[in-house]
Amino acid sequence: MTSDAPELSKYVTLVSADGFEFVVLREAVLISSVIKGMLDPKSQFSEARTGRCNFAEISGVILEKVVEYCQYWYKFKETENVADMDIPVELCLELLQAADFLGLDRKVFPFGATANLSHFKRP
Amino acid sequence: MQPGKQNEFDVCWEKLREALRDIHTQNAGNLSFEQLYRYSYKIVLSKSGQLLYDRVKEFEETWFAEKVMPPISVLITKNLVSITLDGALGTSVVERRAMGERFLKVVRSSWEHHNMCMNMIADILMYLDRGYGQEHHRPSIYTATIGLFRDNILRGNLGATGSIYQVSNILNATIIDQINMEREGDVIDKALLRSCISMLEGLFETDKERESDRLYLTTFEPYFIQTSHEFYRAECERLLREADARAWLRQTQKRLAEETARCQTTISPLSERSITIVIEEELITKHLEEFLQLEGSGIRAMIDNDRVEDLKILYSLVSRVDDKVPVLRNALSVRVMELGNEIEKNLNNTDFSIVQGASAEESAADGEKTKTKPLNASAQLTAAAIKWVDDVLLLKDKFDRLWVTCFDRKAVIETALTRSFSEFINRFERASEFVSLFIDDNLKRGLKGKTEAEVDIVLDKAITLLKHLNAKDIFESYYQKHLARRLLHGKSESQDIEQEMISRMKRELGNNFTQKFEGMFRDMNTSRETTEQYRDHVRGLGQVDEKQIDLSISVLAGNNWPREIMSRATGSSAEPKVKATYPSQIQRLQDSFFEFYSKNRNGRILTWVGSAGTADIKCYFPKIPSKTSGALSRDRRYEINVSTYGMIVLMLFNDIKEDEWLSFEDIQATTNIPQPDLVNTLTSLSVIKQFRILLKKSQTKSAAKPGDQFTFNREFVSKTIKIKVPSVNAANRVENDEERKETDEKNLETRKHVADSVIVRIMKQRKELSHTQLVNEVIQVLSGRFKPEMSLIKGQIESLISREYIERDELPDGSPTDKYKYMA
Repeated sequence: MTSDAPELSKYVTLVSADGFEFVVLREAVLISSVIKGMLDPKSQFSEARTGRCNFAEISGVILEKVVEYCQYWYKFKETENVADMDIPVELCLELLQAADFLGLDRKVFPFGATANLSHFKRP
Repeated sequence: MQPGKQNEFDVCWEKLREALRDIHTQNAGNLSFEQLYRYSYKIVLSKSGQLLYDRVKEFEETWFAEKVMPPISVLITKNLVSITLDGALGTSVVERRAMGERFLKVVRSSWEHHNMCMNMIADILMYLDRGYGQEHHRPSIYTATIGLFRDNILRGNLGATGSIYQVSNILNATIIDQINMEREGDVIDKALLRSCISMLEGLFETDKERESDRLYLTTFEPYFIQTSHEFYRAECERLLREADARAWLRQTQKRLAEETARCQTTISPLSERSITIVIEEELITKHLEEFLQLEGSGIRAMIDNDRVEDLKILYSLVSRVDDKVPVLRNALSVRVMELGNEIEKNLNNTDFSIVQGASAEESAADGEKTKTKPLNASAQLTAAAIKWVDDVLLLKDKFDRLWVTCFDRKAVIETALTRSFSEFINRFERASEFVSLFIDDNLKRGLKGKTEAEVDIVLDKAITLLKHLNAKDIFESYYQKHLARRLLHGKSESQDIEQEMISRMKRELGNNFTQKFEGMFRDMNTSRETTEQYRDHVRGLGQVDEKQIDLSISVLAGNNWPREIMSRATGSSAEPKVKATYPSQIQRLQDSFFEFYSKNRNGRILTWVGSAGTADIKCYFPKIPSKTSGALSRDRRYEINVSTYGMIVLMLFNDIKEDEWLSFEDIQATTNIPQPDLVNTLTSLSVIKQFRILLKKSQTKSAAKPGDQFTFNREFVSKTIKIKVPSVNAANRVENDEERKETDEKNLETRKHVADSVIVRIMKQRKELSHTQLVNEVIQVLSGRFKPEMSLIKGQIESLISREYIERDELPDGSPTDKYKYMA
């Protein structure tokens, strides 16, 4: 419907509350249903048009970890028996909140348990 | 709820409400998804999800009432309502179509707009479903808001126009109206219809969204089916009035294709089955028989004119409705019967013309009054038989061809065709005789110079017909008669083909059936050997004599040969046994042969059948002194081939004076030849000009009869040396009614014997049987030969009881049961 973005760029930018910008593979962050909704080319929201998503309530530290998770998921999505990602214990609570906000707390893709919060287990 | 919380909700909701409006007015470009999502996230986290849920619905309902419904209402004019739903006339099609399209377009655009907005709104309210809806088992916000379209628009009140209808009524009616326009040949906006239909497919009766609750299925389809019934009922009635089955077939076929295509392109594939059922009911089943009966284009015309294409379509249509195609099957059967009867009728009509044509030819070619009628009669019969067989086979070929090309080799149709063929063939009472005559004619002359393949075809034809005959026993007796004539008179074209014919019959009808025929062949072969041996024997005796009579003999075993031949010699029970008196030379020959024959076969009796044999006589006609030129002035020698009786008669004239006449009675007294045979013999020798070796005193064309006088024709002239005097069947023409009756009686008598033997054989084996069982078994055994009448079987059972072959079983108290017992 929005013909002003004929070719979707391969990367999008996620911006944290404290101004950190993360340029990420679009496909990787689509694991979040919320980010997917934001970037849906059919909607006319500003995120979809600009390719920038501002997260007013997520700090850079947490967003970095979220982005890392997205990349981790993307890299190994075809592989089995993937080792858990390393997560510092002090970030756990905030990460849980962010995951809830971004809709990362359930199986968005037919990806098995690895797309679950169990990734955030301590090593 | 705490005041602070309440405050926070209001702030967030206010933002969201503005966003909703912006989304509806397509001004969402500056809105931040993240921000809006965060508002709803917060509301849900603060446990106000329900409030948000209800507020959103409330907002949408207001929006519908204020912004969406008015433009739709405007388009629902009285006119649109009255022409689509009330069936009022008076508006032109173009106008109506434009009006309908305008309305449908507004519905479509408001639906598409709503759908798009609801997608966006559902996205930003994503957390509402996750954090509130699922926990409280509410339909997703998308489902709920989409459903609002159904409640507020499609089922919206049309109070403004004072109509009792809902928008959905008008929507359905308008779509149907457009479809009907297309059915009438107009071009419509298919994509527009398809969008409206897919809206109905996407909406459900309730927010539970059950598969069977699609509005398409609950409201549109029933209406669509009902109106289609009406449309096609009217169409079928119109087609029926036009009374052209070809048009009907093609229209129906076209409609089926159209509706199937329409389901794919315009409405929903879900309805494909239902709408084809409508066509099957309205256009095919309902008036099928009436269409088939149509004069000039119905099934009769299709068959008669080989309208293969029509029949193909017809078959494809009726087999959709009922796999057993009962109506088509019956119609075909009826037509086969009709055509079969026509063959019979034609035959009766043609018969006369042949008689006339033949006799006219005869008299034109030969001015002299000749006695040819009897010959004609049998030739005619043969011609009729051949015509009948050809016609029947032609008819069969035709239907076989139709069966292959049009009816997909359907088994039930084949059965029906076979049954009707059998029926009309067997209803024709001379069928058995004609089939046998057909074979007879072909074996006598028809197969001359034909290739093996052609012979094969003829034999196949004969067998095909034979298979249809019920009265195989009657066929058997005719075939026996004809075969006997061929064998004894050496008329058979080819021994190999005769054998082939019989071995085919054997294959089709079993060993029993051909036993007698094979016996006849055996007799002929043995006779040839016997003749050879006798000649050797005679040569061995050393009686070489110029005047020696050469004997070729056929010894026929009584059972294998037709009664007509045998009975004339042995005398049937009715007439006394007559023995012809042979001239002394012949008698000596007979005695000599009998002596030779009985040397090896003690106790056998030979009876001479004068009517069945032939003799070659060398005849000497002295020159007539008064004639000085021409054939008569010279001595003439001819070799004349006559029947054995003919020989006896001719030999009488060896010794008479020039102008001496012998009376019929004299001849009869001297020769002791049975009267009918004598009539034949004398007629053949004295009536036909080319073969007039004897002169009849009263020179008429009619057959010889008692009282006539005969003398030797000294002025006999023939162009050829060898003359074959044709046997004339003057006294005994083609079977007349009385003889036919006699033959029938004889047949009945034979059948009784056969039935007797079958009953006894069964009872002997089973010892005890109920009446029904016995009758069934008897029928089963007999059906290979003929179709037994119930009364015949019952009668024979009674007769066998009275002859004490079987007895009725009795209960202890002496009352009879329906069981029979075999009496040893």
